[in-house]
Amino acid sequence: MANVLDLRRRIRSVKNTRQITKAMKMVSAAKLRRAQERALAARPYARMIESVLESLRRRVDLYDEKTGNLCHPLFLTRPEKRVLLIVVSGDKGFAGAFNANILKTAYQFISGNPDKEIDIEAVGRKGRDQLRRRYPVAAYSEMTDEHGEAHRLRNARLNKVELTGDHPGLLVHLDPKRVEEMAHNIISRYVHEEIDAAYIVYNEFKSVIAQRLVVERLLPLIEVGRPQITGAVEPTAEEKERAAQAAISAGIELEPADTTEADEEAKKFGTSNVDYIYEQRPEELFAGLLPQYIFSMLFHAMTESVAAEHAARMTAMDSATNNASDMIDSLTLHMNRVRQAAITKEIIEIVSGAAAL
Amino acid sequence: MADESNQLRVRLVTPERVLFEADAATVELPAKNGYMEVLYGHAPLLAELGAGDVTIQGAAGSEAAGAEGPTRYNVSWGFVEVLPNRVTILASDALKPEEIDVQRAEQQLDRGLKMWKEAGESEEAYDEALRVISEAEAKMASAGAEIKTH
Repeated sequence: MANVLDLRRRIRSVKNTRQITKAMKMVSAAKLRRAQERALAARPYARMIESVLESLRRRVDLYDEKTGNLCHPLFLTRPEKRVLLIVVSGDKGFAGAFNANILKTAYQFISGNPDKEIDIEAVGRKGRDQLRRRYPVAAYSEMTDEHGEAHRLRNARLNKVELTGDHPGLLVHLDPKRVEEMAHNIISRYVHEEIDAAYIVYNEFKSVIAQRLVVERLLPLIEVGRPQITGAVEPTAEEKERAAQAAISAGIELEPADTTEADEEAKKFGTSNVDYIYEQRPEELFAGLLPQYIFSMLFHAMTESVAAEHAARMTAMDSATNNASDMIDSLTLHMNRVRQAAITKEIIEIVSGAAAL
Repeated sequence: MADESNQLRVRLVTPERVLFEADAATVELPAKNGYMEVLYGHAPLLAELGAGDVTIQGAAGSEAAGAEGPTRYNVSWGFVEVLPNRVTILASDALKPEEIDVQRAEQQLDRGLKMWKEAGESEEAYDEALRVISEAEAKMASAGAEIKTH
């Protein structure tokens, strides 16, 4: 049987751990609040791009009247043979099942499309590390052409699933410039028929209790203005309950801030019921708008994922703190019992010793 | 209502946040094909933006409190919607002139010129180089003007 001193030491160690998890929870709560604000601030832009594109699509024929050509290559649909999958995970662990769930969804997507060639683009350090262990990295070779220019060419594909790129540190500051570069890269791959479709796996975050894992189609653009979600995993009621408790104890509001008014305002952009003078030809407007739309979808997915990661960490750390408290309680009870047992034993010894006299 | 005061409701929105929102008298915009000035009652218009300065004259409201004269922002790429009483600017990137890092803009210009030289036959590469150059030049012009006035 453990002695009192050992138990006391255990209790002290668990208390220290509880201190750490509690601190981590509060830090995550603060970061979550900031991430939520950022996601909210980014909303008007995304909404406006979306609505102007939607209205432009309603007003302008997608096909040129004379030539019959499609006015922008991103509207083109091809049979999906090669697919790009963007996996947005977290940069750090200690967030419960957050990263594991995202990877699970990604693996499901891959095993659900066995006949397609899949390129993976990993955002977030945790997911990248895991995916790298599982799938080979695409091979590129440097080439120099007759003009002396360096080109990076992809070698022949050896595997069905390959990792084509990662973006370390992208989620730390979430610089729009870098997300834009990524969007341009994806678009150029689509236009050059390196990929036939692009999907993104990320954790959607409306509020602490309303979040889910989604697989969303970025390209081709079949319908503008409506997220093309092809798969979603809702959290269980128990998980929601736990998240709600964690949020309340950390002082985070459960319901998302009311943005209906601002959203309505943003939706009006470019959609007024008047005849606009379009300064540029529709093709040019599309060419300018569509990359921005793809960018804003990517940016949106990433801001939400960052918020969701902090929320997941907050919940996990709240559970850890509660578990530590439970452990301390039970250890304290055990320690008191042991101490009492020792005292009782001593008394019995004294009493029986006295009786023997 | 804005109808009586003949004021434009101006909003400048970037991917990260709404940067500016107030009533103003006039707005000058760097459209892709050149600058244009918008006053109250302008015909509905939708245009792509280039790189340059958005100048907002006679801005009222708390955001512009204390600042005399025009409010300027350096924007690069985006869209603008003009309605008779409202101007909404969607910019990919917007900076106040004093926020511009001149050194970085110079580096950007060098990079653009290098791209221009190396573009070869590719039209795409030329366009990309042009974009970088015009963005850098607009930034430098905007920051330079600021230095002169001080």
